[in-house]
Amino acid sequence: MTASFVALEDVCKIYNQGQPNQVRALHNINLVIAANSMVCLQGASGSGKSTLLSIIGCVFPPTSGRATIAGKALSRMPDRFLTIHRRNTIGFIFQHFNILPDLTVLENITLPLMPLGIGPGARKERAERLMEMLSIGHRSNFPARQISGGELQRVAIARALINDPPIVLADEPTAHLDHTLSLAFMEIMRELQRAGKTIILTSHDPLITQHPAVERIIAIEDGEIHVP
Amino acid sequence: MMSFARQANIIDYSLSSLWRRRFKSLGVMVVFAGVIFLLASFQMTTKALTNAASDILAFAPEITIQKMKAGRQESIPLEYKEKLAVILGIRAITPRIWGYYFNETSGANYTVLGLDPFSMPLGDQLGEAIDTGALPLDHEAVLGQGVFAELAGGGDAVIFSLFRPDLSLKTFSRAGVFKAETNILTYDTLFMNLDDARDLFSLPADMATDLCVTVANPNEVQTIAKKIAALLPDTRVVTRQQIQKTYQGVFGWRSGFASICLLTALAAFIIFAWDKASGLTPEERKEISILKIIGWQTSDVLTLRFWEGVTVSTVSFVVGYTLAYVHVSFFEASLFRPVLLGWSVLHPALRLVPSVELGETLLILCLTVVPYLAATIIPAWRAAIIPADSALN
Amino acid sequence: MFLNSWSLALSLLSLVVLILIAIAVRTAIKVLCSWDPASDSNRQIRLENETWLSSTLVQYAMGFQIMSLILFVLAADYFSQVISGAMCATGSLAANQYGMPTLQLKLLGAFLSGFWIILHAFDISSERYPLLKAKYIALICLLPVLAADVVSQTLYLANLKPDIITSCCAVVFGEGGESTGNLLGAVPQGALLTIFYGLAALLAIAGYFLRKNPRSSLLWLNGLVWLLYLGVSLVAITTIFSSYIYAMPYHHCPFCILKPDYGSIGLLIYGTILPAAFFGISAALAEVIPVRLGIKEVVHRFQRMAVLISSALLVLFVLVVSYHFVLYRFMGGE
Repeated sequence: MTASFVALEDVCKIYNQGQPNQVRALHNINLVIAANSMVCLQGASGSGKSTLLSIIGCVFPPTSGRATIAGKALSRMPDRFLTIHRRNTIGFIFQHFNILPDLTVLENITLPLMPLGIGPGARKERAERLMEMLSIGHRSNFPARQISGGELQRVAIARALINDPPIVLADEPTAHLDHTLSLAFMEIMRELQRAGKTIILTSHDPLITQHPAVERIIAIEDGEIHVP
Repeated sequence: MMSFARQANIIDYSLSSLWRRRFKSLGVMVVFAGVIFLLASFQMTTKALTNAASDILAFAPEITIQKMKAGRQESIPLEYKEKLAVILGIRAITPRIWGYYFNETSGANYTVLGLDPFSMPLGDQLGEAIDTGALPLDHEAVLGQGVFAELAGGGDAVIFSLFRPDLSLKTFSRAGVFKAETNILTYDTLFMNLDDARDLFSLPADMATDLCVTVANPNEVQTIAKKIAALLPDTRVVTRQQIQKTYQGVFGWRSGFASICLLTALAAFIIFAWDKASGLTPEERKEISILKIIGWQTSDVLTLRFWEGVTVSTVSFVVGYTLAYVHVSFFEASLFRPVLLGWSVLHPALRLVPSVELGETLLILCLTVVPYLAATIIPAWRAAIIPADSALN
Repeated sequence: MFLNSWSLALSLLSLVVLILIAIAVRTAIKVLCSWDPASDSNRQIRLENETWLSSTLVQYAMGFQIMSLILFVLAADYFSQVISGAMCATGSLAANQYGMPTLQLKLLGAFLSGFWIILHAFDISSERYPLLKAKYIALICLLPVLAADVVSQTLYLANLKPDIITSCCAVVFGEGGESTGNLLGAVPQGALLTIFYGLAALLAIAGYFLRKNPRSSLLWLNGLVWLLYLGVSLVAITTIFSSYIYAMPYHHCPFCILKPDYGSIGLLIYGTILPAAFFGISAALAEVIPVRLGIKEVVHRFQRMAVLISSALLVLFVLVVSYHFVLYRFMGGE
């Protein structure tokens, strides 16, 4: 599984470069995340944590430095190719889940497959397998706004996994969940790790940071990796 | 990239997305359908009127000869007929009196048509245009619907009188009424015998207003017209085709002028559509950023917007066009009649038959859908470039 | 003669196309001046976004240009009812010296914007956008063609005058009616037919081999023959095939076949020959792309597809265009 590998060398990110409101969000980040591991990024808001997550998540390339995500160097890759790499490599689970409330559970889960030209039959088949695994199969045709928080979270997980990405990124996944659901979430992450995925989380929640499955905590402060 | 399956998926999504925002979409569609309705009704009315006019013009003689003096038309002596006897290919020459009678009580101008229906080769076809009654005999006249309504007050009066130039009265009895289908040409017409018309206008006995020439071979019309013009240098020679084209020109001009007014409405709609497409709600922005971060390309979002535009246009077009058809054929284009038929005090009440042709449809499509789609490109692009990372915050 | 719906629609359509391309050209100039793939500045990000706008604009413009082409021919047919002496679209187009050039410019505009879209597809197939500069220079070159189209069309419409029945010249005006306006003089039929079917056979055979093995020299030759064949078939449609469709030996018109009176068969005829020639020629033009850019794989895939499409459309075209001809010549009768 060498493909599921994140390597950042001297990565910098500067917003609004060359303008008065220039912001240096990341400064000389060097970071290696091994395949099939589970790590947690930690940092206050404004620390550069989200920027780092975006670079690892192939949302935008770094301003300078080398970022190699799953065997591919991102440096100054045009957005079009970044998107292709992102959808093949990364599964996102967002803080607020970012589920479209008016679509059904099935529609939400298969959303990433639409631009790939996968037909409705194949889409449904793939989604059903995941929904079965996450026990939300009975909710398939419910509008997302009608289901509970715990189910919503599993819909978000199913959508992240629909394209079978080697890396799963979860941004503050338990911030809006109670204790039981948070534990359940970590169980699922652990299962995924066992299945060979690389899991990268961001969180302040001790339930995650102190979870036995989390192998490493990476602390970010002022755009740099903080070594305690 | 270009795969059909991808397009099909995006169409699928665009339909569901329009349905989810159906109230917002409906607003645009209603206004758009309204604009299409106006333009299409207008185009159909003009087209139907032109067709009706040329159908009836088919009755007109192939060549008309009028005598000119000082650049104005005057009566033509019947002896001119003999001068033309040398031209081969002329089947018949019939004198005709075509004049206007001003009715002072109503302020309307009637067209008086005097000819001998039995000597004219196509005269029997005039009979077909008569709804009730028969061709006029001595001291009889066939009335257009409008004239009939005015002179007979819609009742069944049979006898009525008109003034000669010296204000003496001339009395006619009604022989019949023209059919409503021919209203565009016959609405204000009084059709009578040659002698009666001559009497009404006090023309000398050997005079007419023009001579109608019927030609045996239609291909020779131009040649014969040229020969007549050479033989009778003081006349104007007009062919049927030319009259038809003048009508077309007038209709075309009128419809073009009105189209400019309608284009103003279109412009207003385009601004409205631009505004609607630009104003994204926070939910819509959120949706696009989610789509983008989970792997939709900028081009996928642009494609999505394209199909939404196509769907809105198609629905509006079908609705607007259908309504226009109904308006023109069942409500007789009541909105546009005053503009198109306004040259006469008597407005013909004409039954219009709109035709649906590929060209006409494409014309309306180009005038409405193209500007709409063009106006939504930039707003669609602005939406499509919403950065993916805005979904992370 | 602007004050009628057809002229207004044509003017509107070409202006829209021109405006869309002008906006795209604005991006093209900006890209040519300050594109810097290594930069992460806001300006570069904005430019990257604008490249999406420009390609979308050209795609719409091509669609509208095709509509404009069809509308122009249909409008010419409508004008023939107004212009003295014109019996059909041929007569209207010949009514002044701008008619035919406008038609040709419209066709050229549609072809060129199509070529540009292919170029764009090649360009964005590689992460390095290797054709970026070439693509935007080409886009700038497209603008004068479309501007010429607008100017020529405007001149055509301005000089189109329906004649009023004037006192003196009524007959003289009508004179044009005698020349039923055949676009082309007598062409030896037998020779033309031989060339027409000979080239079609040649292109079909070339297409078969090229799909297996797209060799450069053969592709070029194929493209050239396609260009030639486009010309030959347009002449053949006008002078030979059309009159069999009309079942009138002296009616040679390339436009009336578009009318519903003849089942709009012309739409199918032009709807096959024009795209077939487009793909045949673009397969050859794609050879211009240097191997060193590293997108040869994409280019080859396109060429195979283009050759396949053009061959298929060619077969369909020959079948459709020959239908009435064969029916009349060999079966005898309608």
